[in-house]
Amino acid sequence: MVDLARPAPPRTGSWTNVLLLGGGLALAALVLRAIDPGRIAGLQNFFIIFGSLLIEAVPFIVMGAVVSAGIEVFVPARAFDRMATLPKPLQLPVAGIAGFAFPVCECGSVPVARRLAAKGLSPAAAVTFMLSAPILNPIVIASTYVAYRGRDTLWAMVLGRSFLGLMAAMAVGWVVAGRSSSEILRPRPDEEHHHESGPRWSSFAGHLAGDFLFMGRYLVIGAAAAALLQTFVPQSIIGSVADTPVLALVAMMGLAFVLSLCSESDAFVAASFVQFGVGAQLAFLVFGPMVDTKLGILYSATFSKGFFRMVVLVVGTVTLMGTLWIEVLVG
Amino acid sequence: MHRAGLSPVRVASALALASWAGLFWFLIGSGRTSLYLSSRTDWVVPVGAIVLTAALAGRLLSLRTARPEALTRREALAIGLTILPVVTVLALPPASLGSFAADRRSSLASAGFSGDAGDISSGEVTLVDVASALRSGEGMQQLTKRAGAEVGFVGFVTRDPGMPADEFLLTRFLVSCCAADALSIQVRVVGAPPGRFEADQWVRAEGLLYPLGGEVIVDATLVEGVPRPDRPYLNS
Repeated sequence: MVDLARPAPPRTGSWTNVLLLGGGLALAALVLRAIDPGRIAGLQNFFIIFGSLLIEAVPFIVMGAVVSAGIEVFVPARAFDRMATLPKPLQLPVAGIAGFAFPVCECGSVPVARRLAAKGLSPAAAVTFMLSAPILNPIVIASTYVAYRGRDTLWAMVLGRSFLGLMAAMAVGWVVAGRSSSEILRPRPDEEHHHESGPRWSSFAGHLAGDFLFMGRYLVIGAAAAALLQTFVPQSIIGSVADTPVLALVAMMGLAFVLSLCSESDAFVAASFVQFGVGAQLAFLVFGPMVDTKLGILYSATFSKGFFRMVVLVVGTVTLMGTLWIEVLVG
Repeated sequence: MHRAGLSPVRVASALALASWAGLFWFLIGSGRTSLYLSSRTDWVVPVGAIVLTAALAGRLLSLRTARPEALTRREALAIGLTILPVVTVLALPPASLGSFAADRRSSLASAGFSGDAGDISSGEVTLVDVASALRSGEGMQQLTKRAGAEVGFVGFVTRDPGMPADEFLLTRFLVSCCAADALSIQVRVVGAPPGRFEADQWVRAEGLLYPLGGEVIVDATLVEGVPRPDRPYLNS
């Protein structure tokens, strides 16, 4: 209820900080205009890659934030109790396959997984869902099919990607199993703002804005890192190891990490690496949607210390072993 | 009990949402989406504009609260970081990937693009056909049958060190999703007016096509400067 008394004033300096924010951004625009990066080819290249990664990813981040806020505000906490009643061996496969129903790329699945874990879903299931959704969703399966249509390796790529993606996601979930959400989730300093009183729509708007801003800042840092690497590290370095069996797989995983491509389009890029075998291309397609530069930043901000390192190790090992087998069987 | 007042945190978050929503509407209005995304994925821009605008409306309607949250300097910096890319896109002149990127992405260019070689055997030869030919032996065989065909390609000028003055590489990027996955397609143009075209200048080269070994050559009958196309990247 609202009365006519004075509102509780925010801490001193709050409005000054809002003004500083606006002023700082105006200054940044003026400095950019003065520097004119168009005159410096490398800088211009950096800004185009940086902008393109963000323009493509931000709509997915905001859609992920919509789903995340919806889960927080409209889904009762007990909704995930049924998942916990499933036999333990079934929980991770069910969580992984649930990714099929969430057609967004990797940026959108991180806030959703965080919210699911905070809401009571077992962290193992939430993490499995987060990692499998960018690979198992129907758009990604369709784009992989289109990219490899007409090739002998079509089904090896489509089915191999889905199978190995699910295996890697479940392996990470298995490693995480037994940990509580407070152990795995990093506390968010801004979260107290989100518990906004008032009608549900207001709370929804608060959570949506909070999740978008939280993920957005780390996406910006990740996109900047990816753009820097893309601008200044020649890709010919990767091509030189195409004929070396295990190194080719590792190189393609490294390239996937650097490029930070959206899982809905990366198959077209992978398909172009014709000098690499089926295993190396598959390594690119399985590893990239789970581990890349921008995701590293997002994971580090969302999950506790050591989580990202563990994901790299587990996903890397499963991807390497799986693609080596596929290379032997199909390559 | 307190009367509802404006929350600095909510105002700042509204500013961030407004900036991003504004950027997406600007991209739609200015046609600059094609500098960043392929036509396959440019639907994300209107979707982003609509969802962000709806999110902004929700935030604007809930700016007031009985307990306005304080905005710390650190939070202001974090929100500023989120808005900074919007400033960079709006402040910079419109540009597409150029010869600098072509040099850096050369291994992708040599890898080529997985196109349908069957498309090459008939109709007008396009740069996408050239990419398919560069990728596969079958494609190159198809293109070789078209040797001597008249072609007209639009792209920008790049040069390799030591190239004769009357030659350059006509380059165009092929994009699947966004500029980050661009692959370059290059044809060597011979018989161009020496010294008339600079690196990164957009040109149209007409002439006769000759696939030779691992590269495709255009023996130019006409090379003229043209404005950058509305869609500077080809789509796979």
